[in-house]
Amino acid sequence: MVPDPVLTPAGLEPAFDLQAYYPALVYAGVVFALAGATLFATHLPILKPWKPTRVKTMPYESGVDPIGSSRMQFDVKFYLIAILFLVFDVELLFLYPWAVIAYADGGDPTWRAAFGPLVFVEILIFLATLGIAYVYAWRKGVFQWR
Amino acid sequence: MTPLSNQAFVDHLTASVQFVLPEVALVGVACLLFLVAALRCSRPLAMVVALLGVVGAGVIAALVPEPVGRFEPSLAPIDPTGAASFVRWLALVAAAVYVLLGWADTRTDTPAEYHACLLVAAAGVSLVGRANDLVSLFLALEMLSIPTYVLLYLPSRTRAGQESAMKYFLLSVLSSAVLLFGFSYLYGLAGSTNLHVVVSSLAAAAPHKDLDPAVSPLAAVAMVLVIAGLGFRVAAVPFHFYAPDVYEGGPTGVVAQLAFLPKVAGFVALARLLGVMSAHGGGLPYDTAHTLIPLTLWVVAVVTMSFGNLLALLQDNLKRLFAYSGIAHGGYMLIGVLVACTAPPASADQSGSDALLFYLLAYGLMTVGAFAVLAHLSGPDRHVETVDDLAGLGKTNPLAAAALAVCLFSLIGLPLTAGFVGKLQLFLAAFQVPTDTKMKSLFQVLTVIAVVNAAVSAVYYLRILGVLYLRAPFKPAQPTRTSPQLVAAVACAAATLVLGVYPQPFAEQTRKAAPVVAAR
Repeated sequence: MVPDPVLTPAGLEPAFDLQAYYPALVYAGVVFALAGATLFATHLPILKPWKPTRVKTMPYESGVDPIGSSRMQFDVKFYLIAILFLVFDVELLFLYPWAVIAYADGGDPTWRAAFGPLVFVEILIFLATLGIAYVYAWRKGVFQWR
Repeated sequence: MTPLSNQAFVDHLTASVQFVLPEVALVGVACLLFLVAALRCSRPLAMVVALLGVVGAGVIAALVPEPVGRFEPSLAPIDPTGAASFVRWLALVAAAVYVLLGWADTRTDTPAEYHACLLVAAAGVSLVGRANDLVSLFLALEMLSIPTYVLLYLPSRTRAGQESAMKYFLLSVLSSAVLLFGFSYLYGLAGSTNLHVVVSSLAAAAPHKDLDPAVSPLAAVAMVLVIAGLGFRVAAVPFHFYAPDVYEGGPTGVVAQLAFLPKVAGFVALARLLGVMSAHGGGLPYDTAHTLIPLTLWVVAVVTMSFGNLLALLQDNLKRLFAYSGIAHGGYMLIGVLVACTAPPASADQSGSDALLFYLLAYGLMTVGAFAVLAHLSGPDRHVETVDDLAGLGKTNPLAAAALAVCLFSLIGLPLTAGFVGKLQLFLAAFQVPTDTKMKSLFQVLTVIAVVNAAVSAVYYLRILGVLYLRAPFKPAQPTRTSPQLVAAVACAAATLVLGVYPQPFAEQTRKAAPVVAAR
């Protein structure tokens, strides 16, 4: 039995129904099964060749030495690259919803007629702004790995 | 029916693009400056481009018609009614003055970046005045904060400069988090991010506060968080402690900006969230029918002005002194917010919000004027840090000393200056609040405390004046050439006098900008 929809300030929305959330349960099951299977497989002698070296037995095999002072200095260029990466990562994050919503089938025709061209121009402006940031970073020598 | 299929809403949204054209122009010029900065950019070129950008934005603002008679509540994220126009012109004029002031701070290799950040910050202030949505309001506030971090760091690579930039960055981020936390409660209570819907639904729930305990505490928590978050911006006690350190270490031109722009943004945002300064108020959600929020604002105002003035008495460093003086003036302005947002005005003649807007204008002129004089006097070979460094300025630099003196007289609140008219309006608005509410005669007590504070503040301003004119100069006269900072200082001082002698047209504008909300 599906409960009646409820009126929220955002409009008419379906009421909370626990049955609708069964994919979350399935997902949790898959996660636990995968974790268990991995643990099990790593202890199977056939699947697990055992050739220990000093580096291989460290908790993070190809990472930072976990023992010692944590106040080590990192070169600032790592941060610059990380920030630049974040900027363009978030750019993509913005582009996906725009691409999906603005031109999807079944959208509101009034909405699309009013906003379609406007939002397209706005996205272009957004991309141009990031392009300027890219040019700025480039000219200032952020991409030179010194 | 979803809200998006509503034709009126679509019209609101598409129309709101034209109401931000000047801000778009400012940001566009900022982008251009960043591009120029990627090549080579000289100091005069950056300044001229930035000034042209501000003038261009002003021309666009004058040309694009703003709706005058539209009073139905807008659903769009941008609402050009109410105080929007006033705040925009305030931001544009301030930006022009700051570009001139920036001459002192752009001796480094980054003049274009400096001016670009300045323009973005000005656009942010202007957008705060017209934001009609919790989201656009927060974005506008961040548009002001984020360039300020860069600005604090760019000109001064000294230890103190870096400390002040870091301090401001961390505390500003914290205050933004607190503010967002408050916004989340407001959204939860109203079910909408639209400011009008938020205010009117809170106001509609207000009469039932006693019956429905589920609504009232949450609304109070939300507003306390908002007051805390915006309290950082306006440097209200107990959120003031960053101000003296940041002012002391920061570059003078940026400090002048920090003393004014966040105050405008913070107070306008606070007033909007409390239900005033828009052409179609949805009622006052926190009026004197309940004393919790009015009393909170009352205490913050009293503590802010008293602490600011008392601690300013102890300062020797000029920038620290002006930091505490700014805190004290923030306390006076909080009176305006308190009166406007809690006590429905009896008549259209005196309301707290137009007194607040007028005081913001007056405070901006006199404080920025004073900082402009400091920026003019300091140079690569000369630092004006302490009060004693100003000794005998009346003889060595008569024009700069005169401009500083006018600003100081105005900060004291002597007649014929802008500070006097502003204080008079604020104190009158508080004094005339009826005493038959639950706040009893607390507003009158507040006025008395404020007047006593204004008298106390005269001590440290007069001390500077005495040093200026009565003491002999330590060093022989150093002829300083006319600089853009001096032009800015003289312009601010002259405007202070004009505002003090003939306040009528400006008072009219503030009255138009802050229409009186009908009593519930």
